[in-house]
Amino acid sequence: MPFKPLILFLALMPTIQLSGQAPEDTVITISLKAIAGLQYDLVRFSVKPGANVKVILTNSDDMEHNLVFTKPGTRLEIVDAAQALGPDGPASNYIPASSNILWFIPVLPPGQSDSLLFKAPRKTGVYPYVCTFPGHGIIMYGAMHVTNGVMPQIVEDPNVPPGRRKDDLTGNSDQGKPRSSGHPYELVPPFLYRVLLPDAGPAAIAVSLPNKLSYCWDAGACRLRYAWSGDFLDLTDYWAIKGELFGKILGTVFYRDKTEYPLRIREPANIPAVDFKGYSLVEQYPEFHYSIDGMEVFELIHPKEDGSGLLRTFRIPGAGQTIWFVTDPHDGAIYESTAGQWEDGRLRISPDEAKAFTITMTRTEGTGL
Amino acid sequence: MRWIIYCTAIIGMAFTWSCSRTVDSQELSESYYVETIELPLGLEGETGAIAFLPDGRLVACFLRGEVMIYDPKTATWTLFASGLHEPLGLLIISDSEMLVMQRPELTRVVDTDGDGNADFYETVTDDFGMTGNYHEWNYGPVRDEQGNLFIALNTASEYGHVMKEVRGQLDTTLVPGKPKQKFSAVPYRGWIMKLTPDGEIIPYAHGFRSPNGLVIDQQGRLFATDNQGDWVGTSKLYQVEEGKFYGHPASLLWVKGWNRGDPSKLPVEELNQMRTRACVLFPHGIMAASPTQPVIDDTGGKFGPFSGQFLIGEMNQERIIRVMLEEVQGQLQGACLPFIDGKGLRKGNNRLAFAPDGSLWVGQAEYGFVGDKGIQRIVFTGKTPMDIYSMNLTPEGFDLTFTQPLNDSSATNAENYRFKHYYYDYHLKYGSDQYDVQSIPVTAVTLSEDRKKVSLTLSVLKEGYVYELNLTNIRSESGEELANSLICYTVNKKY
Repeated sequence: MPFKPLILFLALMPTIQLSGQAPEDTVITISLKAIAGLQYDLVRFSVKPGANVKVILTNSDDMEHNLVFTKPGTRLEIVDAAQALGPDGPASNYIPASSNILWFIPVLPPGQSDSLLFKAPRKTGVYPYVCTFPGHGIIMYGAMHVTNGVMPQIVEDPNVPPGRRKDDLTGNSDQGKPRSSGHPYELVPPFLYRVLLPDAGPAAIAVSLPNKLSYCWDAGACRLRYAWSGDFLDLTDYWAIKGELFGKILGTVFYRDKTEYPLRIREPANIPAVDFKGYSLVEQYPEFHYSIDGMEVFELIHPKEDGSGLLRTFRIPGAGQTIWFVTDPHDGAIYESTAGQWEDGRLRISPDEAKAFTITMTRTEGTGL
Repeated sequence: MRWIIYCTAIIGMAFTWSCSRTVDSQELSESYYVETIELPLGLEGETGAIAFLPDGRLVACFLRGEVMIYDPKTATWTLFASGLHEPLGLLIISDSEMLVMQRPELTRVVDTDGDGNADFYETVTDDFGMTGNYHEWNYGPVRDEQGNLFIALNTASEYGHVMKEVRGQLDTTLVPGKPKQKFSAVPYRGWIMKLTPDGEIIPYAHGFRSPNGLVIDQQGRLFATDNQGDWVGTSKLYQVEEGKFYGHPASLLWVKGWNRGDPSKLPVEELNQMRTRACVLFPHGIMAASPTQPVIDDTGGKFGPFSGQFLIGEMNQERIIRVMLEEVQGQLQGACLPFIDGKGLRKGNNRLAFAPDGSLWVGQAEYGFVGDKGIQRIVFTGKTPMDIYSMNLTPEGFDLTFTQPLNDSSATNAENYRFKHYYYDYHLKYGSDQYDVQSIPVTAVTLSEDRKKVSLTLSVLKEGYVYELNLTNIRSESGEELANSLICYTVNKKY
């Protein structure tokens, strides 16, 4: 990136640019997969007349397949001729001698790929492609539309196998689904997300949990900063200005840590020095790993099943000393613990209990924090 | 419209995307062509880092946090890791373990259970400050033969902010400075750091503004590019050595025992004496406006005739730059020229990596600047290009060695070599004009017996100047024109 103080301007909504549209003098590469159920994953595509086309065929099925492009209207004739090859079929890759065959990729064993480079016909039309392996050609085919325009709606395209006229397994870019996140997948909680967040240090982590809960865990301060219910984050501003404006919390903050630091060793007044070690994903939930005064701590946060708060499971395998978990009466949570003794808002945990204990934080009724 | 991440209902997640690719090639008969790799649907293709697994699969980081793996054999993408914070650097350990330089940490990302998805994110170091300023990008790591890692920490921008809560010791001497300049409010912004194999982090070299590109060459030397701006008259390539200062004063705040206040207020001449000169200057707007990651052509000829030379990305133009170095009087210096211009290459050439097959892959980003998004690859067709192979300083001028024998009459005509020289100033003000711009006549030309080398005598040769050469009418024996007719040599020292 150019690291220039150009102008910090508010870009429009971040757009997602796909490289599907090629300039005229380029080679269009089409990736086809033979997949289970005697089909190609892509059942049609369009190119301009005379376009340079590269086709990559990958056999992702567990049987052999080939790929034959034919002149318009001759698919079934070629399929029949391939069938008629009989014992000569394998040696000829099931490619019959015919002037109606334009190009082909020979038979590929499972797992193999091959490619083919050709110039699309000048003449517009629908050029079928088909697997001529015996028995396959009746249902395993598709169509290259050579056109200066657009393809018909897939539901009305007779050149596509009937069973495929509703869907397009590849999500062809011209039929793409609406996108919003900038990620090539659905964000399904639990997931972790790192952007700048308000009311935290610059190394904070946002985690989206099931049950409409989220929290901000600060990898600089090594602590849970706050938690909210509702939706997750609005990152419009964040992504608009080179990742500098904060992600906006979408929901109500129901908990905010107001202590100087929640975990203390030996004496409740000892504020430890912290060091962030990273995290593991435990069934997609991050378990944070850090140290307090050199003592290793693991912290795994789950949502309460009814969505009313968080379950924080700590593991301090080598505690060796009394551990204190300190709370603030105005932090928005009601506490319960699987171990230790509560003493005036502070949980006293023995070294043995500290090996694994869970603190339940249930939100109190009322306004956000 | 707002860009919002909702907590969606649970939907089955498929982690494989199959794509088509596009070859953006003018003519497949040229020496190099450019092919476009299609990205998974829905991916914001801001490429932060690329690298190759030994088996030929590409690993790419994208700025919204993904690490993805692309299999060129099947044109298929899979997701390896996600949730990272603006990853801009990548070092492969194995197909299940990678080092990723993200904004807050250098992280070891590991797939421990072999399912293809990373599940362990270990902090290798977070021992550097951050203020939340957008300009505090981090680069690297690169690794030397001893196993040391090097990372680079960008300065903060005067056009950005400093969060109320920062990481690291805050020094507000320069925040946010007037006059306008990049600043370093927390350690060790503007530094290159060394991490030893036993985990020690050492502030290694300083004075960088925007070192968006580190490389270790075949001799084990560390290099970094830096971007034109305040204190950087034009973009450059440095050899980075321990303890040295490379010119941007902001970083001086974090020199051990610093007690001289605002380093940008030191006399410019004193700063000028302190700084180490670049090996190569990239004349701004002529060669590059924003150079990025260098790679060394170590393909042993698979990528053409330029083995051992540097190829460096350029953000603002559809260009990759080529750099060749030599040592003159103990000083490393050399020339830069366009390697590929256009030919279907996009802008935003932020990251480069050679595939095992010798093709050069380019990851592109824009990120609010001039650029593009996506990934392309440059393939050598086997046809030797007609190009300048090298430019070397001589006591009289320069030797130019070409990749092919030259046509005699055009090669020996001094009119066909138009030199000018100029220098850039070192100062706080953004960028620099060219000073003392002079046309330098070529007074003699000789052509070697094999007709591949031209020796040029110049009427003037001065240290501290860029010698910009534009060639005209130079053709190969077979009549082929030069692929690139511009080359710039940085004369730090002369014979």
